[in-house]
Amino acid sequence: MQNELRSKAKELLASGEVKRVIGYAAGSMPFKCTPDFAETPEEADQLVWNPTCVNNLSVYLPQGASKEKVAVVLKPCDVKNVVELIKENQVDRENVVLIAMSCPGVLNIEALKDIDPREIQSVEWKDGEVTVRTSSGETTIPRDQAFLSKCLTCDLGEPVLSDVKIGKFGDRAAAGDKFASVEEYEKLSPAERRAFWAKQFEQCIRCYGCRQACPTCYCKECFVDKQAQMWASKATDPTSNWFFHMTRMMHLAGRCTGCGECERACPMNIPLSLISKRMALDVMEMFADQAGVDAETAPVLGCFTMHDPDPCPE
Amino acid sequence: MRTQFVEARIISKQDIAPWLKSLAGKYDILAPVTENGVTTFKTIDDPSAIDLVSQPKSLREAFTPETEQLFEYKLSGPSAEVKDPVVETKDRLIFGARACDAAALKYVDAVYSMVKPVDTLYFDRREHTVIAGVFCDNPAWSCFCTEVNDFLTNPVEMDVYFTDIGEKYFVQAYTSMGEKLLEASQFKPATDADSKAAEAARQKAMSKLPAKAAHDTECLTYDWNHPMWAKLSEKCMGCGICAFLCPTCHCFDMQDCAKGSCGTRFRCWDTCQFEKFTLMGHGHNPRPSRKERTRQRVFHKFKYSVERYEMLGCVGCGRCIAACPVNIDIEKIVNELEKPAAVEAESA
Repeated sequence: MQNELRSKAKELLASGEVKRVIGYAAGSMPFKCTPDFAETPEEADQLVWNPTCVNNLSVYLPQGASKEKVAVVLKPCDVKNVVELIKENQVDRENVVLIAMSCPGVLNIEALKDIDPREIQSVEWKDGEVTVRTSSGETTIPRDQAFLSKCLTCDLGEPVLSDVKIGKFGDRAAAGDKFASVEEYEKLSPAERRAFWAKQFEQCIRCYGCRQACPTCYCKECFVDKQAQMWASKATDPTSNWFFHMTRMMHLAGRCTGCGECERACPMNIPLSLISKRMALDVMEMFADQAGVDAETAPVLGCFTMHDPDPCPE
Repeated sequence: MRTQFVEARIISKQDIAPWLKSLAGKYDILAPVTENGVTTFKTIDDPSAIDLVSQPKSLREAFTPETEQLFEYKLSGPSAEVKDPVVETKDRLIFGARACDAAALKYVDAVYSMVKPVDTLYFDRREHTVIAGVFCDNPAWSCFCTEVNDFLTNPVEMDVYFTDIGEKYFVQAYTSMGEKLLEASQFKPATDADSKAAEAARQKAMSKLPAKAAHDTECLTYDWNHPMWAKLSEKCMGCGICAFLCPTCHCFDMQDCAKGSCGTRFRCWDTCQFEKFTLMGHGHNPRPSRKERTRQRVFHKFKYSVERYEMLGCVGCGRCIAACPVNIDIEKIVNELEKPAAVEAESA
């Protein structure tokens, strides 16, 4: 698949169809990849496709609002964000070539904790599991440990949108319920929930890793950064942190695809996807809609229907 | 060579808890504690909660809190009443500090004392803190402290230094304060065998780490116009993870929290990686894109710090490398900048 990806990228760059291919290159260690922006057919040879390709590269589409056409390498789950960005007029469908990769799941870095990282030479997929080659041999990590939890519960067979498909796609059975963590959480009483989040948000250092890693957080100026009308204090007190996170999440209602990049970026391990999952359930219940799964429908909070079941407030 | 006070001592691992408990009346004890998968220095009551294995977050919060009140004010007509914050005066002992984090304090000391008057809030904490560090015997994959300095084996800003030698720690004092600490009954004289075991533990850890590089002189040749800056700015997402995990990053913003004619002024962490950091009142931004902002971080750590304080502003703790969501690796960056080709292009 990696070779196929490289030759497709070369073709797109050589023909001049796209100015750049946004993909993954080898990172500074064999268990890391890094986003890469190939501009020449030679640079396309740096592109990789392996279990370390965790980043959701759709994050680079809205900010790159350049008029130049680009291609972007996406996992089927990442495609959902592009669908949302197109619906929200942040990405011009005509100006982007979507290269969808079939994906067995991507690496949960925690799975490597028993292996000396300095000895790792490669991390590859093999029969739906992950094989780590070290200087002293090979270790196979079973699927349920090797992949991020979002991958274990992934049921996306086909990408919702694509221009190029690489690899085999087809039906896919999720190995678990993606909302299981929400069910656990909902067993808590309101007071316990409040205490839980107070403790979580107390940890927040306001680095904004969550916001910057989020493909859907593309506002030119985030409400929390506004100085003239200061909606939220820059102080890292529990109230301000709480206000920042909850407001950000509410802004993502019906738009968050659950890619989990916010949680992956967070250096303080705040379980942000628990909030987004809870919100996704609300959107499913109230509007029978899921972010990123239908390219044709209007954004759920960006449209109005005369058949709205809720009464109009008087 | 820094002076090593008194003869080396040993302390049995079982005696750490009683020793710390015996100090609890005199000091607030700060030590690394893991909660929710994150290890941070916290004031502890129970020494059994200490986690010396996981890589902790830096000591930054312990000396420059994320949010810190500077003063309270009350306006009345043309005059204002200004009240200083109540400062903590209780002595603190930080147990389990890493050599990189102690060395970072030397740098931050230089920053906060360069312009008089010195930063009293910071130095008040510094003067009331004793540091008992622990040798890092299992450096993370991202660690490169030995590449920037030799403080791992020759510690700075450390009062006492513990090295794990199995059932016990080999302990050395580096200040008179540290010497006093070692008078406690739990510390016994070290034998030659203990000393050799400590040396072996150090060699083992050192073998995993890179050799000393000449960053402190090479930095003067760094290319302002290197094509790398444009490449980095494409992938950098513009968050502040690197800066907020960094033990030497110290930049802050000042804000008021006002209620009518009264209020408080506080400072809170800020970073050159944020767009608004250099945004001027009249709307101009001298670092308008991520190209200027990523370059600033590298130049500040490696070049400006050497020019200003005669020391590198990076202690090689590698936290920024390990946590960057897009794998921006400052060690690779400076080594790339120091490649002969880059130097030649600069001089051409």
